[in-house]
Amino acid sequence: MSIQNLNTFDPFADAIKSSEDDVQDGLVHVRIQQRNGRKTLTTVQGLSSEYDLKKIVRACKKEFACNGTVVEHPEYGEVLQLQGDQRENICQWLTKSGLVKPEQLKVHGF
Amino acid sequence: MDDDMIFDPSLKKKKKKKTGFDIDSTLAGEQNETTSIEAPAESGDVDVPEDDNLDLDNFGKKKKKKKKTFFNLEEIESALPETKDEKPPAEEAEPHGEKVIDDLDLDIDFSKTKKKKKKKNIDELVIEDDVKGDDQEKEDDMHGDWVGGDRDYTYDELLERVFDIMREKNPSMVSGKKQKFIMRPPQVVRIGTKKTSFANFTEICKTLHRQPKHLLDFLLAELGTSGSVDGNSQLIIKGRFQQKQIENVLRRYIKEYVTCHTCRSPDTILQKDTRLFFLQCETCGSRCSVASIKSGFQAVTGKRAAMRAKTA
Repeated sequence: MSIQNLNTFDPFADAIKSSEDDVQDGLVHVRIQQRNGRKTLTTVQGLSSEYDLKKIVRACKKEFACNGTVVEHPEYGEVLQLQGDQRENICQWLTKSGLVKPEQLKVHGF
Repeated sequence: MDDDMIFDPSLKKKKKKKTGFDIDSTLAGEQNETTSIEAPAESGDVDVPEDDNLDLDNFGKKKKKKKKTFFNLEEIESALPETKDEKPPAEEAEPHGEKVIDDLDLDIDFSKTKKKKKKKNIDELVIEDDVKGDDQEKEDDMHGDWVGGDRDYTYDELLERVFDIMREKNPSMVSGKKQKFIMRPPQVVRIGTKKTSFANFTEICKTLHRQPKHLLDFLLAELGTSGSVDGNSQLIIKGRFQQKQIENVLRRYIKEYVTCHTCRSPDTILQKDTRLFFLQCETCGSRCSVASIKSGFQAVTGKRAAMRAKTA
């Protein structure tokens, strides 16, 4: 699957961007939260705002067969939310699509 | 007789010369090493004789030969032009007497065989130095090679040297034997359906030498829940967690906040300095800052109506 706008990536633009806003510290945090019962929620925080998160979430939803949204947070910016424990999936997907380097990913939770 | 007298040294020189050439051709860089090995011997080091003692039979012979050839080299180098000049006359003078010729032949043969042997030996030596030579070379490197050597050291040599020194100084650390950090497993019990109790929480804090609050912050941030320490000094966490999962998080905590990032010893102190946490190692004395605990983004998992009721 090729996503057109994700492939046009200027590394220097990213560097300028990250120096400007403090939210983007380079790390992408993948967390898990427990909901009621055995349900869980996976959140992906720290993706560069260069990317269109709506398109990412659309692709992820299709790929992992789960629902998900993009949540706007005043401090952390746009955060991806996916239903279920998608930590493995999202890490693989992000690295495979070349959006995030493996060393930038930080997986939290149990 | 005079001829003989003339021949013999020339032949010897020839032999020497050949060995010299062999060394030059096969071991271009060997000269440096030999000189550097020689240097400590002159300064009265005990290591070089030790080497000879330690050597296996073959190896020692080779070594000695090497050294001999080295000693010869100097002589030869001074005498080289002469021998070159003398060589053709020696060959011209061959048909003087049969005995002489025999001697010559013998000598030549001998020299040839010797040459072969030496070549072989040197080749073997080189190979052994490269392949198996760990012990031997190390010793050379450790004691002799580094003292007087004036050459550029390769990265591999330096790396090997560092590891040798490390192995010598503290054998427990290297060879993959980490200091086992033994800890009691966390006792995790479910309370009802929605809460989990971490029974020996304070005990684990004590074994890790960390403030309970710090570990509590970390656990709750990582698990993305809330919780508190109750009266029996056990931690109550909201949500269902298994011992395996808590162990996993604890392991991450230990890796980040307990073990020294440089030497991996668990003998560390966590200090707070100007809003930053620093990990001070008691073993190696290193001090480095550790990541602050941030819970990050927390999605709304409870009932939104209840939240709205709370805030409003």
